Amino acid sequence: MIKFENVGVVYPGGVKALDNINLEINEGDFVIIVGLSGAGKSTLLRSINNLVKPTDGNVTVDGNNVTNASKKELKQIRSDIGMIFQTFNLVNRSNVLKNVLTGRLSQVSTIRSITGLWPKDDKQIAFDALQRVEILEKAYVRGSNLSGGQQQRVGIARALAQKPKVMLADEPVASLDPVTSRVVMSYLKKINQELGITTIVNLHFLDLAKEFGTRLIGLREGNLVYDGNVDDVSDADFENIYGRSIKSSDLIGDDD
Amino acid sequence: MINLPKKPPPSLMVFLGIPSALLFSYYCFLKVGFNLSDFKENLENRYLVTDPLFNPKWSWAIENASEALVETIQIAILASIVGCFVALPLSFYASQTTNQNKVSYFLYKSFLNLVRTIPDLFWAMMFTVAVGLGPFAGVLALVMFSLAIMGKLLSETIDSIDPGPLEAAKSSGASHNQSVFTSALPQVLPNFTAYFLYIFELCIRASVILGLVGAGGVGRIIETQRIFLRFDRISPIIVLILLVVILIEQFSVWLRRRIL
Amino acid sequence: MSLPKQPIQQRILKYTITALIIVGSIWSASGLEITLEKILKAPEQIAILVGAMFPLDLSAEAIERILPKVAESLFIAWAGTVIGALFSFPIAFLAANNVAVNYISETTKQILNGIRAFPELILAFVFLPITGLGALTGTLAIGIHSIGTLGKLSSEVIEGIDEGPLEAIKSSGGSKINELLFGVVPQVMPTITSYWLYRFEINLRASAVLGVVGAGGVGAELINQLRFRDFPRAGTVLVATVVLVLTVDTISAAIRRRIIKGRSVKV
Repeated sequence: MIKFENVGVVYPGGVKALDNINLEINEGDFVIIVGLSGAGKSTLLRSINNLVKPTDGNVTVDGNNVTNASKKELKQIRSDIGMIFQTFNLVNRSNVLKNVLTGRLSQVSTIRSITGLWPKDDKQIAFDALQRVEILEKAYVRGSNLSGGQQQRVGIARALAQKPKVMLADEPVASLDPVTSRVVMSYLKKINQELGITTIVNLHFLDLAKEFGTRLIGLREGNLVYDGNVDDVSDADFENIYGRSIKSSDLIGDDD
Repeated sequence: MINLPKKPPPSLMVFLGIPSALLFSYYCFLKVGFNLSDFKENLENRYLVTDPLFNPKWSWAIENASEALVETIQIAILASIVGCFVALPLSFYASQTTNQNKVSYFLYKSFLNLVRTIPDLFWAMMFTVAVGLGPFAGVLALVMFSLAIMGKLLSETIDSIDPGPLEAAKSSGASHNQSVFTSALPQVLPNFTAYFLYIFELCIRASVILGLVGAGGVGRIIETQRIFLRFDRISPIIVLILLVVILIEQFSVWLRRRIL
Repeated sequence: MSLPKQPIQQRILKYTITALIIVGSIWSASGLEITLEKILKAPEQIAILVGAMFPLDLSAEAIERILPKVAESLFIAWAGTVIGALFSFPIAFLAANNVAVNYISETTKQILNGIRAFPELILAFVFLPITGLGALTGTLAIGIHSIGTLGKLSSEVIEGIDEGPLEAIKSSGGSKINELLFGVVPQVMPTITSYWLYRFEINLRASAVLGVVGAGGVGAELINQLRFRDFPRAGTVLVATVVLVLTVDTISAAIRRRIIKGRSVKV
């Protein structure tokens, strides 16, 4: 489904974020990427929808070359990829429903989105997405009036509203407490299992990775240093990824 | 014995700047003819102004200036609405947060800067020549005035918004305009409203002046009365305008509290 | 499962505001007799005017007449700003409710509001019979108006300071004057100075305009050229004004940025 071929990313200023990544992710996989801050996790994720354009190599999603896509093609590809963010990225002044509807923007004409005359089908898709994360009753509440966990659920609903084939999650729980984090992760897992959406999650909490992941990818200084089943990972493997022994800050801990 | 660290030399700006500013100021006062003895003499003439000024002729003002006052307000309303709403899309093009195209950004920003440099009365003068005397010229002039101020204020606000939601919209495949409209615009709406009310107030004051050059409004009356030193007729007009401005100020404070 | 209904309040506010704006515009436009015809004709008329201004009149005669006037606008603006800065500074302390007693600060604030209310042009009117035609009138008008605006802005800066350093001075035995000089002034100077410079930028535009009523500066030139239909020369006046304002704006903005940012000392 997603193929990385010799992907390298060098940021202006010379920082090498990714170095010769070769990776294949299959449809329906639930992949978790771990690594230190700056190891390249975010860059890897963003090269899938070309928010970051690789300086070497290319990324293919569902047979389409993302890296060299034209503007029009890119829009089409991106509409099939949903993304959720560490800082949720909701439009704080808009209500939940409006935020989720922005997931349908790529499928709706500009005029309709501006005047608010969304087609019935698109509104239905938004409802269903809100239902799936069980937050329908908050539809008209302003984004800024929700808790962190609720905001992230809205973020998930927004991505779901796109009816995506791929779901990218960039440190989705880094700003949440252990209980809420597990709630969000379980939504992601459920969506992956029930809808078959290929899901890739950046995490830096190792125990969460072990709890929810099936396939684990470890990045270190832009290099792929681990790729395998999450159950096969040993403590020594983790140390290889992190370059040091495990600290308590690498674990999210138990529910209080 | 402890040696103190070397004291940093005074900044060049302060060292050169302050003395030259003082010198320049002295030069300016000379050039504008500031002369204390002359000034004292002139002050003797103040009764020419203060006597009629404090003797307002209300009935005359209300009878003859009401229509012009309404005209003044209408000019301000129309110009601020048109100017601010036209400035809205322009501001998004004049901010790097929402306009990644360096050339286009530079063009829009320069345009706004250029419009800002020309004083409102100059615009009024030019428009009276182009489209004729009367309030239409005044409206056009203040449209440029409003556009310039809203453009600068709003584009600077857009510069400092959270780019996160914009990124989220783009990553879902939305077009540029859709992303800006749903994810950038809502963030600046409270600011837009506040700036609009501020500009509306400025327009009322500016609109008073426009009549001086024949661009409509109460300025025409003020000018004719001024020539005859009829400050007794001018002062009530000014007071009426001040009242209107104060009313609007109160209204805008009330409105802002409701919206935010 | 169906969606809950949108709360009524939000919609009412939105619709009222939209209605206000539409009604206000239509009422104004019809009252001013602005027809669609006039609007459509306007761009052409503007283009004709702009076309008539080029090529600009850059003859020695024109420059001889215009340059001194442009300079005069600069002098008026500067002198007016100096007056404004000089007098507004002490007045601002009187108007600040954390420096002066409440009823003094309140009265001062009201006086400042009163001064601020009059546009420079109106003040110029009042001074004209007294100080006559010429640059002095313009300077006084701008100066006094600036005292009003700068006074208010400066007092707000003073009210917004951090009281901590003042407390430190007081606790070490310093007097109120010491508090002001060493606690308040250093904190407020950068912002207040940048306000002075910003005021200068605005005053420059005001002084250009004052010439229209004969209070000195380049405005008189422009209105004369337009009256005599000497468009190329009028264009020159405009361009000269724009160049002056842009230059001053850029320099002033750079200085203001530097003042607020502070100097980076090499350690």
